[in-house]
Amino acid sequence: MKYLLLLGLLGLVFSPVKADEKKDPPKKAMTFEVPYRLTDTKHIHVRVKINGKGPFNFIIDTGAPALIMTEAIAKKVGGKTEDGWTTFDKLDIEGGLSIDKPRGVAVDMFQLKGMNSMGLAGVELHGVIGYNVLARYKIEYDFTETKLKWTPVDFKAPDPKRIVDKNGGQGGLEMIGTLTQVLSMLGGLKPNFTVHPRGFLGAELELKEKELVIKNVLAGSPAEEAGLKVGDRIEMAKGKSLSSSEDLLEAVKKLPEGTSLKLTVKRGQESKDITVELGKGL
Amino acid sequence: MKKLLASLLLIPLGFNFVRADEKPLEKPKTQTVKFELVPSGHFIVSVKLNGNGPYNLIFDTGAPTTLITPRIAKDAKVAGDAKDKPLIPLFGMMGQVKVKEFTVGDVNAKDVPAMIMDHPTVKAFSQEYEKKYGSIEGIVGFPFFAQFKMTVDYSAKEMTFTPNGYKAADVMQDLMQTMMSSMGSKPQPRIAAPAGLWGLELTKPSDDEADGVNVKTVFAGTAAAAAGLKAGDRVLTIDGRWTDSVPDAYTATSYVTPGKSVHVVVKRGGKEVKLTVTPKIGL
Repeated sequence: MKYLLLLGLLGLVFSPVKADEKKDPPKKAMTFEVPYRLTDTKHIHVRVKINGKGPFNFIIDTGAPALIMTEAIAKKVGGKTEDGWTTFDKLDIEGGLSIDKPRGVAVDMFQLKGMNSMGLAGVELHGVIGYNVLARYKIEYDFTETKLKWTPVDFKAPDPKRIVDKNGGQGGLEMIGTLTQVLSMLGGLKPNFTVHPRGFLGAELELKEKELVIKNVLAGSPAEEAGLKVGDRIEMAKGKSLSSSEDLLEAVKKLPEGTSLKLTVKRGQESKDITVELGKGL
Repeated sequence: MKKLLASLLLIPLGFNFVRADEKPLEKPKTQTVKFELVPSGHFIVSVKLNGNGPYNLIFDTGAPTTLITPRIAKDAKVAGDAKDKPLIPLFGMMGQVKVKEFTVGDVNAKDVPAMIMDHPTVKAFSQEYEKKYGSIEGIVGFPFFAQFKMTVDYSAKEMTFTPNGYKAADVMQDLMQTMMSSMGSKPQPRIAAPAGLWGLELTKPSDDEADGVNVKTVFAGTAAAAAGLKAGDRVLTIDGRWTDSVPDAYTATSYVTPGKSVHVVVKRGGKEVKLTVTPKIGL
C-alpha cells in the first residue's frame, strides 16, 4: 500500500502530447512573487485562474512535460482542444503573473486522482504546471520564504516530445488512481478540503511573560460583549494555564467561529472567569 | 477489510520535513549545476551517492521523495542499510535508505532519504534516453532540493543551490497520522487563522462568484481603520494573495505577522485602490 501510494505521489509524467511548432514570445523581464504552499505531501502548490475562472490548485512539476489539468476543468473554463493541445485565453498565476494564450493538456492524471480520493495533499489538486510553462521563467524556490520568484527568460522552449504509447500510458501505473480511490472508500476515508475561518475575539493583546494583557477592546466585538476590559490579564484559557503568553495565544488561535471560550483573567487583584463566544472577524 | 486496510496504512508513508529556525553558521555559498534538457521536456542531472557514480537522475520538483534504482543502490553500496522493506517487492522495491552524501553536480546534501525501486516510468525514460545520455537511474526530489534556495533556468540549462537552513527531518509520520485520524471518523475541517489583528469583518454571499470579498465592518482604532479600509470595499488581494472567499482572506492573513506592512488591493467605486496595512498583535 505504502509503495502504491508512493508511486502515485510522484509527479513524474510522460508526455501525453504531440509536438508542434508554435512558440510563445517571452515577456519583459521583471520578477513576480508567486505565493505557494507546501501540501501535506510536500508538493509545491500554487493557485491559478484559467480564463478568469478559479482559483484552481496546481503543482509545480519539472517532472511533467506541460501544463496539465483535469478534463472537467478544461471544459469548465472553455479551453479549445486541437491536436492533443488545449488552448486557453489566459492563465493567471497567483502573485500577478499572467500568461496569454497558454497551451495545456486536458487529462485526468492518476497521480492527482489517487491523492484527491484520500485527501492526502490536504487540498484538492486540479493539475500540474510542467515544462512548457516553467521553461519560460527562471524560478527561485526557497522553503524558508513564503513566495517563489519567477523571472521571465528569453527561451524558446521546444515542444515536448512524447516518448510512450498513444494512451500516454505509464507501464501499468494508471491503475493506482482507481485503486487508491477504491481503498479509501473501503477504509472510510473521506477527504475534507473545507477551510473554516477562526473565531474572533476582538482584542488587541500584549505578550507578557506568563500572561496576555488586553491592550484594546474593539467596540462592538465579542470581547466587549463578554465584558473584557483594557488592562485585564489573561492567565488561563480553556481552563489551562500555559508556560508562556505565546503558548496561550497559540492555544486559542485556532478555534472556529461560535466557540465558547472560557478565559480566566486577573483584573487588579481579582480573578474572574469570563466566557466569550468567538465571532466573525479578523 | 477495514482492519486489513488499517494495518496496511500503519506502514509509514513518505517523509516529513520540519522547518528549522537556525541559520547555517557559515556564509552559505551558491553553487551552479548544469543539466541536460531532454526532448520530452524533463531534465537530467549527474548524481553521486557517497562518492560513487556519477549516475543520471531526473530532477523532479513534483516528487516528494527521492528514488534510486536497485542497480545503483547496490553499486554505491547503500542497499544494505535499507529499512522498512516491503513484504511484496513490487517493482524491485528494497525499502528506504538515508544516503549520507547525496551529490548533485558538485552540490552536496547530507542524509538524504531515498527509496530504492525500479519505477516503471524511470525505466521507460531510461530506455528512451540510454543511447544518448546513458541509463537513467532515478529521481531527485524534495528531500534534496528543500535544503537549498534553488533556481532553475531552462535557458541557461542550469540550476543554482544555496544552503538555506531548511532542515529535512526524517519524521515520516504526519501523513500517516492524518490518514489514521481520518479513518472512519468525519475528518475535521482546517482552520485558517490570521497571524495578527486587522479589525475587519468580511462577507461574501454564496451566489457571488466575482473576484474578492466584501468588507462588512471596519472596527475603529484598528490596523484596518488606520490603513483607510472602509465598509463596502471589495478586497481583491492581500499581500499578493487572492481573496476570493472569506477563508481565502484568512489564509492570506495567516502569512502576515504582526508589525509587517503589506499591500491590500481593494475595489472601491469601480477603481482599484492599493492600501498598506500593518496588523497588530491580537485575536
